[in-house]
Amino acid sequence: MNDAIKIRILQGDPIIHDVKNASLPKLFRGLPSIEDKACFSGCNKCQEVCPTNAIKLNPVSINLGLCVFCPLCEETCPEKIIHFTNNYHLAVDSKEKLIVIKQTKTVSPEIASEKIRKYFGKSLKLRQISAGGCNGCELELNALSNVNFDMGRYGIEFVASPRHADGVVITGPITQRMTKATEICYEAVPNPKIIILFGACAISGGIFQNSKEIQRKFLEENKIDLFIPGCPPHPLTFINGLLDWLKNV
Amino acid sequence: MKSLEVQNNQLFDRDATRFLEKDEFRNTVSELMQNGSRMIALTPVDKSDPQKIIAVLADSNSSNIHIAGGNFSDGKLEFESWANEFPQTNYFECELSENYGYAPVNHPWLRPVRKQNVILRDKPYHFFKLEGEEVHEVAVGPIHAGVIEPGHFRFQCHGELVYNLEINLGYQHRGVEKLFLRANPNQRIILSESIAGDTTIGHTFAHCNAIESLSQTQLSLRAEVIRTIAAEIERIAMHLSGLGGAANDIGFALPASSYGRLRTLAINSLAAICGSRFGRGLFLYGGVRFDLNDEIKNTVTDNLKIIQNDVHQINEYLFSSVGALSRFEETGIVKKDLAQSVGLVGLAARSSGLEEDVRNQFPYGAYRYNPISMITLSTGDVFARARLRALEIDETLRFIFDQIETLPQGEIKSEVGNVAANAGVVSIVEGWRGEIVHIVFTDGNGNLLNYKIKDPSFNNWYGLSLALRETAISDFPLCNKSFDLSYAGHDL
Repeated sequence: MNDAIKIRILQGDPIIHDVKNASLPKLFRGLPSIEDKACFSGCNKCQEVCPTNAIKLNPVSINLGLCVFCPLCEETCPEKIIHFTNNYHLAVDSKEKLIVIKQTKTVSPEIASEKIRKYFGKSLKLRQISAGGCNGCELELNALSNVNFDMGRYGIEFVASPRHADGVVITGPITQRMTKATEICYEAVPNPKIIILFGACAISGGIFQNSKEIQRKFLEENKIDLFIPGCPPHPLTFINGLLDWLKNV
Repeated sequence: MKSLEVQNNQLFDRDATRFLEKDEFRNTVSELMQNGSRMIALTPVDKSDPQKIIAVLADSNSSNIHIAGGNFSDGKLEFESWANEFPQTNYFECELSENYGYAPVNHPWLRPVRKQNVILRDKPYHFFKLEGEEVHEVAVGPIHAGVIEPGHFRFQCHGELVYNLEINLGYQHRGVEKLFLRANPNQRIILSESIAGDTTIGHTFAHCNAIESLSQTQLSLRAEVIRTIAAEIERIAMHLSGLGGAANDIGFALPASSYGRLRTLAINSLAAICGSRFGRGLFLYGGVRFDLNDEIKNTVTDNLKIIQNDVHQINEYLFSSVGALSRFEETGIVKKDLAQSVGLVGLAARSSGLEEDVRNQFPYGAYRYNPISMITLSTGDVFARARLRALEIDETLRFIFDQIETLPQGEIKSEVGNVAANAGVVSIVEGWRGEIVHIVFTDGNGNLLNYKIKDPSFNNWYGLSLALRETAISDFPLCNKSFDLSYAGHDL
């Protein structure tokens, strides 16, 4: 018993109390900012180095759904136009909002509909589907339940059965061999239900976008409610995305 | 010499491999295994010319890697299977058969590796089935109860006892090896970071070593040391995660959540070094992207000091609990002889008493100058696999503190040369699970011709299957967690 108390005291107070304004390591790469400066004429170095074709030029824009948040464009740009800020608030509710341009200072999802908030605002149970994820996203989703992030305090939890769930969180580019299972799992979730895409692979295929082994029809046929960019996204990006969307806090 | 002998990360001429006639090839490989070598790959050199294959074998005693070539140009892709005599080749033969249509004659149990609904030997493949009174089958997956990767498990049980567990994977197959051949160098690093997201550094380490060997790039000592520090922090993080998982699976909440808290400290240390909690973005060809300045050194040291202090007390609490020990001890046993014959690697092998550690036996990077101790246990049960994690965390912490204190001065990036044409290299790295192998061949222009990856999970999934024999099915989650294998790394 004494030992147990000793271990409990060691735990201290590890929880992140203010999930909106937590400070992350200096080098953490969050929301990119694009400075209002002209590119060298003809320069397309950032576009050339980008491993996932996330960058468009004239004017410069970055697609957060494709971006794997590697530092290549930032370190390559001769004019230092692209810079990754520490801002981990990245979740959005539409594909259009994934595009970061010069004017973009922050991104956030629109507040969910009255119905969604009434049903899920205080309690949201999610079933996770790993469809080709490399286990990076899965580890970050698991981290949401640890003592640091403790997502359960907001009434948001992962459940074992899709029948108990209010929606699915998909990770990975959806491999050919997971298409059937993904459909069956989604079908088993009772209505109304939501779909959240977690990570670059799920949102756009990411680094696997040109693989012949993936099949993304499911995503075209169903409405996506929330996009969580990152490779993998930080747990706080997920929590804040949901809280902003559900206006829970 | 009938086979080519190379070292880890040694550049060799692609034409240096002699392609022997089939029977001679078979005998050469048998002889090598007889003398204690272990198969690490069975693959064509050139994917478009599958009639010429190589068997790559590693000899842990002499630190040599043997490459034997076989010529099947007469059109008949058949050879007498080694697997009856050397069960370790079983899965490699299945893979070769699935990918290139080879028929290993008299193979004891040809099964699919990454495909479902396949036809083998002209018949649709069915799972192994046990028949008899009171026998029942349990099917699980591909989607499991927790937040984990997909895979299908078939248990043949008699009451609570598992007689056989067949593991059917491939759901995560994204075509990584093929993508490597088409990718540009920037994409290749991101790809290697995404082979198995829990072993980001391990796989990227192996990939960079391979490319740097092919381009004759010499790294600064400082860059080498920063790489190994990152690799060892990854080991600590995932070992803590494994211990937390084991505690969680026996319903022991306090240690489970404590290990979880310490893991956060470990991966946040990686984020302090390079911005990503998994070490993404740290590696580039020729060195590392981020230096360890004094501020980061202090952050990392402070975090690891807390881990060192706390993990001792938590380990003591967990491993002195009678309840925990009764669940861990003599559960999911893989004995040494069995582990050796099926070719287990890494953590699982060392828990069964095998001396297998790439860092000692095929040293690379900074391990060549700064050795780290290999730790083995003998019981091969869940206890050994959990306890070994605890012991390795201790040794790894000692190693990192040493390295940080004596960090060499110098640049962190070196000039990268051109990738050699018509060359090959075998790069082996000890990830936290075990031996990671990347084998690369280039064509006449220095473009990649074949990229073969072997995650330690490829060897060890069968170990989990064997651990479950005669074990209660209710112990499956615990056994599974004690191996903690990668689906993505296996499926590629």
